[in-house]
Amino acid sequence: MGAWLARRSLAALAIVLAVVTFTFLLIHLAPGSPFLPPPGRPVDPDALLRTRHTFGLDRPLPVQYVRYLAALLTGDFGPSYSRHETAAAALAGAIPNTLLLAGAALVIDFSLGLALGCWQAARARRAGDVIAGSVTLFIASLPTFWLALVLLLVFGERLRWFPVGGLSDPVTYAALPWIGKLGDRAWHLALPALTLGLVGAAGTARYQRAALLEVLGRDFVRTARAKGLRERRVLLVHALRNALLPFITLAGLAFPFLLTGAVLVETVFAWPGMGKLAADAIFSRDYPLVTASAVIGSAMVVTGSLLADVLYAVADPRTRVPAP
Amino acid sequence: MLGDMRRIVWTAAAALLALASACRPRGGCSGDYCGTLVVALTGEPDVLLPPITEQSESQAVLDQIFLKLADLDTTLNTFGDSAFTPLIARSWEWADPKTLVFHIDPRARWQDGTPVTATDVAFSYDAYVDPKVNSPYAGSLHQISAVTARDSLTAVFRFRQHYPEMFYDAVGALRVLPAHILRGVPREQWATAAFGHQPVGDGPYRFVEWKPGDHIELAADSTFFLGRPHIRRLIFRFTSNQQVAVSQTIAGDADMISFLGPPDVVARARAAPQLALYPYRGSVHTDLVFNFVDPADTTRPHPLFAERDVRRALAMSVDRARLLQSVFGNLARVPPGPMTPMWWIWDTTLAQTKYDTTGARWLLERQGWRDSDGDGIRDKNGVKLSFHLLVPTTSGLRRQYARLLQDQFRKVGAEVQIDEVEPNVLDTRARTGQFDAVLASWNTDPSPSSGIAQTWTREGFGRSNWGRYYNADFERFLAQAESSKTRPQAARAWRGAMQVLNSDAAGIWLYAPDNIAAVHRRVAGVVIRPDAWWALIRLWRIPGDRLIARDRLER
Repeated sequence: MGAWLARRSLAALAIVLAVVTFTFLLIHLAPGSPFLPPPGRPVDPDALLRTRHTFGLDRPLPVQYVRYLAALLTGDFGPSYSRHETAAAALAGAIPNTLLLAGAALVIDFSLGLALGCWQAARARRAGDVIAGSVTLFIASLPTFWLALVLLLVFGERLRWFPVGGLSDPVTYAALPWIGKLGDRAWHLALPALTLGLVGAAGTARYQRAALLEVLGRDFVRTARAKGLRERRVLLVHALRNALLPFITLAGLAFPFLLTGAVLVETVFAWPGMGKLAADAIFSRDYPLVTASAVIGSAMVVTGSLLADVLYAVADPRTRVPAP
Repeated sequence: MLGDMRRIVWTAAAALLALASACRPRGGCSGDYCGTLVVALTGEPDVLLPPITEQSESQAVLDQIFLKLADLDTTLNTFGDSAFTPLIARSWEWADPKTLVFHIDPRARWQDGTPVTATDVAFSYDAYVDPKVNSPYAGSLHQISAVTARDSLTAVFRFRQHYPEMFYDAVGALRVLPAHILRGVPREQWATAAFGHQPVGDGPYRFVEWKPGDHIELAADSTFFLGRPHIRRLIFRFTSNQQVAVSQTIAGDADMISFLGPPDVVARARAAPQLALYPYRGSVHTDLVFNFVDPADTTRPHPLFAERDVRRALAMSVDRARLLQSVFGNLARVPPGPMTPMWWIWDTTLAQTKYDTTGARWLLERQGWRDSDGDGIRDKNGVKLSFHLLVPTTSGLRRQYARLLQDQFRKVGAEVQIDEVEPNVLDTRARTGQFDAVLASWNTDPSPSSGIAQTWTREGFGRSNWGRYYNADFERFLAQAESSKTRPQAARAWRGAMQVLNSDAAGIWLYAPDNIAAVHRRVAGVVIRPDAWWALIRLWRIPGDRLIARDRLER
């Protein structure tokens, strides 16, 4: 297990390095330039050249890459061109917000998806299952950006049940007691987390329904029923436990999905997370911030994936590859 | 089982109720100096150090924290000094035609209690023009040769020459900085200095907090020497999306938005009972700019647009009034030249190219542009009358206009292929001449001089004169306008310059939107200066009898 884990960790590091290299090259070779004035304002080419020189952008790309990697090894992500602070400082403020959003969405995704999948499996091919199947297919097909805008317009602007974007109420938050602060955060988190979670839950439900139906046809389930156990117990205790194994894989895959979805959801709901930060950085050609976001994002994804593999290996020892 | 469910639901409801009551903070402020104004911004300031940034979101915040020596009034007359109101400078006088003397108001204080002095003014000028700071405003101060402190309350500006907008150049961009704080910060490091995220100013509001990605909060300085601001808390909320900013304002999460946009959004805001709408003159104009040089080799003329009659024919084929009506309704104007209604040179009596498709077809025929192969697109000597139009992906309006223009050009036998690119790419391609035509939006300052010069003269090649337009007559008129002694003289020169541009069909002047701001009805005394909607916020107020819960709240 130790050697296997070491191998997987090395592979994860290699993936992160590949992502850094690819992102660095891609963003530097993309058309456009950092340090441009706001749209509609004139450019001073001399000032632009001076700034590019200050940040070493007039050097050959391989030199810039080597310098970047050397700095990265010391934990220095470099300065953010667009935010006038270090890329690390910009990310440090945004990562907890993205983790909070992704975590809440994950809870909605799995709890709702699991419950719906079980409910559908229990009444497979009946009217309820068919309707729920169509609804989940519809939701899973919705573009996240569009769903976010609809939820925002309906529940934020029209019904005013939830705030229209933001992390917290900028007026009242500081004056609230801790429980109030918690409530305010939850209230602001509701719509973005629901947007991300709903789309995920629709997929999870379909996956879980299929996994349960497969298990429900097995001998041990038939035996449990023959023993006279109640159907609820057969489903939730005997069948579900065995149908949960592929769920771990799904959890590993969900994280990258949530991170990419967060870019759109954070933009719509003005949620100050990593996705919005990275998207803004791309538009302003903030090379260090784009690359740093890719490093952190890929590190999160490979860690999630590694964790899923470890859990899978623990749950099912057959999946461990023997050491040579 | 059903009983269990009921218990769970009731417990959850009770918990929510308890949470809701805990979420309601109590406030106690009363009277005319309470009030919290939440402003929805469609972007986040990059830094709060005046010489470093020209982003409008930053300006909106900075102008509450830092003062200029004097500022324009709502007439926006940049000619001479009659339209300026004193701020840090209590008064000023001209020692000679090239020397301007400012007398600092002795009551002016930095928010740490230190007096504002003429040394701060000289220090600020020095910083703005220092290449180490690399300020985008350095160019606007190039006519000033020196700024010195004669004594602690007298700052002297010396100019290289006498011209009508000297005063505007002296005070328009320069925000006075605290020398006693910033002197110790190496100028190369100003862009990332801590001061830029926690500034100390001399304005009506002081900095309280900046939550990255979320909001900036300012608090009224009750000792502000020009009068205590009525609105006590000023909160700028950030979104990266105009749609969300509008929704926040309509839903009551924000108290104001400075720009509503297209008619359907204005109608939505008008339907919100708590909002009052404030129209004001726009500072943006959008033009179709022709490239006069070949994108493949910028030393050669453009294969289509070097011909004046082709440009004129294309300009004649566009029904600008109808396009504008269908997109904006009554919320924009057809510009008589590359100008905004905010400029005093706006003149609808200027001779302009008329919509005349028959005339356009005739003009093209006369120049030998005929549809020789019957595909609906004219050609001449094997060259098709076909070009690419560059538009930014982020502007729904310009994308919509591109499609409408494509349709209008097709009717006279010209083919347009629309290239939608992100703004950063558009800017880079336009500056390097890699385009045929571009839909350009210009956000202007109150003076026409610098904007027009940068966009349509040789001085702007490689900068903002994207199409590399050059006409010696135009430049002569412009030089006259910039050096005229009186406003009528300048107006005549400007008129001449614009007529040259129109006669050359250097571009097609499409639209200049009027702005409409939406502000909560409880806010009184709302006056919006067209070039800077935020400039007079310190004079807005929320009367004591109109306060709502969030106004009373103590932080």
